[in-house]
Amino acid sequence: MLVERSPTPSPPQLFTNVPPMPLLDIQNLVTAFHTPAGRVPAVDGVSLSIEPGKTLGLVGESGCGKSVTAMSILRLVAAPGVIESGRILLSHDGHTDDLVTLPERELRRVRGGRIGMIFQEPMTSLNPVFTIGEQIAEAVRLHRDVAPAVARARALELLRLVRLADPERRLDEYPHQFSGGMRQRVMIAMALACEPDLVIADEPTTALDVTIQAQILELLADLRRRLGTALLLITHDLGVVAETCDDVAVMYAGRIVEQAPAAELFANPRHPYTIGLLAARPSGRRSGPLTTIPGMVPAPREFPSGCRFHPRCSVARLPDCTSHLPALVEIAPGHLVRCPFADTVGAPRPSTAGSVP
Amino acid sequence: MSPTPLLDVAGLETHFPVRKGLLRRQVGSVRAVDGVSFSIAKGRTLGLVGESGCGKTTVGRSVLRLVEPTAGAVRFAGADVRAMHGAALAALRRRMQIVFQDPYGSLNPRMTIRAILEEGLVIHRLGAADERLARMRSALERTGLAASALERYPHEFSGGQRQRIAIARALVLEPEFLVLDEPVSALDVSIQAQVVNLLVDLREQLGLTYLFISHDLSVVEHVADEVAVMYLGRIVEHATADALYRVPLHPYTLALFSAVPRIDPAHRRRRIVLTGDVPSPARPPAGCRFHPRCPLAESVCRSVDPPATVVEGHRVHCHVAARELDRGGTAAAAARRIAEMMTAGAADKIVTGGGA
Repeated sequence: MLVERSPTPSPPQLFTNVPPMPLLDIQNLVTAFHTPAGRVPAVDGVSLSIEPGKTLGLVGESGCGKSVTAMSILRLVAAPGVIESGRILLSHDGHTDDLVTLPERELRRVRGGRIGMIFQEPMTSLNPVFTIGEQIAEAVRLHRDVAPAVARARALELLRLVRLADPERRLDEYPHQFSGGMRQRVMIAMALACEPDLVIADEPTTALDVTIQAQILELLADLRRRLGTALLLITHDLGVVAETCDDVAVMYAGRIVEQAPAAELFANPRHPYTIGLLAARPSGRRSGPLTTIPGMVPAPREFPSGCRFHPRCSVARLPDCTSHLPALVEIAPGHLVRCPFADTVGAPRPSTAGSVP
Repeated sequence: MSPTPLLDVAGLETHFPVRKGLLRRQVGSVRAVDGVSFSIAKGRTLGLVGESGCGKTTVGRSVLRLVEPTAGAVRFAGADVRAMHGAALAALRRRMQIVFQDPYGSLNPRMTIRAILEEGLVIHRLGAADERLARMRSALERTGLAASALERYPHEFSGGQRQRIAIARALVLEPEFLVLDEPVSALDVSIQAQVVNLLVDLREQLGLTYLFISHDLSVVEHVADEVAVMYLGRIVEHATADALYRVPLHPYTLALFSAVPRIDPAHRRRRIVLTGDVPSPARPPAGCRFHPRCPLAESVCRSVDPPATVVEGHRVHCHVAARELDRGGTAAAAARRIAEMMTAGAADKIVTGGGA
């Protein structure tokens, strides 16, 4: 059972004569919650794609719909949430499944099989009454018909892969004996148990200290290079995205407002919300008050009409913004912006310079 | 530093007993805070940074005696806080308030905002009914909330607004000193900036003094005049914010700074990824407490607790830093040499992180 695939830096191509096919292709996803107070469209027409071996960062503030998007991919949205429309196409060995319509039985093979998942809270995601080894072995045996001893050997191999110190001893320990960073390594090991094509990581380092976060991000980047696994990284931290992702999509109030290769997005942000988010980060010694985005993120029940950012936007002037939903327009290769003023905004790049040497 | 600090903490220790067995016999103690000294002048802000478990929150609570310190001295405006009891302690607490991290957990969901704000006024027997109302309105106004908030409940407010309510609850008592324990950590970026600006404005308008506890180095750099870095119950480095961020001398401070993910590739540094986790404060390592994770650790670090080296008000507890400072030249030159040693000496056991 080999963990490492070809160590080529380029993503593994399934068919060399076929143009690069996205591994995951989300088309116009709408996920809504039907509450007594009405329909709440948490994800409202999201399209995203990830190529094999690439990392896509999905950023936004709480309630923007980024986690619901992730849960929709695995159809884990809890009632009263429903995927109302859209397609979620996952490619594997040359054929494509639509996860929205895939029968539950087959979907169960996708979850933890072709797609691995890492959640924010490594404490609550592990069962406190089973050893780490038992839990990883279970993840393996759910998808592979192997003997317990083989699954245990695989668990040990995985703990080595995520560079947990002293893996033989750790295998028989319980979650409470692990620190937060070690638990997150275990979560990563479980996500990788069946050599998935894609790992979805929802705020994987948010609960961790900054030095431990650095360890985990470095581990994820290294595993991605060695295993060629694609990664959907959901986070609110723009710094984490800048350091780990190939592409970035910024969500606001259930919609993607800007999408671009990471270097392009940070060098040349065009949506007023992206610009505001970057500017709101404290950077360096006190130089007057921080730039703020006025107001607050609207609750999904109170999404404004037209461009959902217009009540907080410094650029929105025209009645256009309040009445029409702006289209997601490609303003440069791969750079999509949902703002009619994207060309004129072109605000000077907010300084991110810290005085930290 | 002004001659009479508003808050002066010397040799503060706060240990929590570890009990075991049927008789709950004490078998050891967690040395959460283990010899911390600092002072804050009136109107200034000290930032206290460090990772979880380093004791920064316990320092904040010990200063207010929300937990009882084990040893050391805490003086507020010249008065011995640890010697106080009863009415004197209550009167002192009116002048020292705290804002907690979690605006969801720190406000009682069954109380209206009026009841939440009034509680302190009632306890301290401040003002008649109409005066109380005026105070509450003014506190809300200062924090950017409408007076109509008084009749509402916490669940009707967003996280940012709740944190404003928590700040108003502190302000209504007209304190001089605030312990801000991760006041913006639970908030979204765009809201975080609003609350940071509010705290800075309030400090200027009301002449407040802050102990600003946070793990977020960027926020602390923006807000604080001085910064102290804690590791395992001790302050390892303390300097003006400017000096600390420009000339970090302690290897832990350097590692902490290098671990912060940055947007601008030009400001991305060679990442020093520390190996291992923070040891348990119940069994702190001998010598320098950082030595098991320090890429520069030498034999002296394993046995001798490093004393403070002070250069131009910049205080650092590190044998290597002391030697480098001793070699003469500027502190900046010493800091550069230490940074070089960190990245070079660490190269074999540490992988530089960074870009994908």
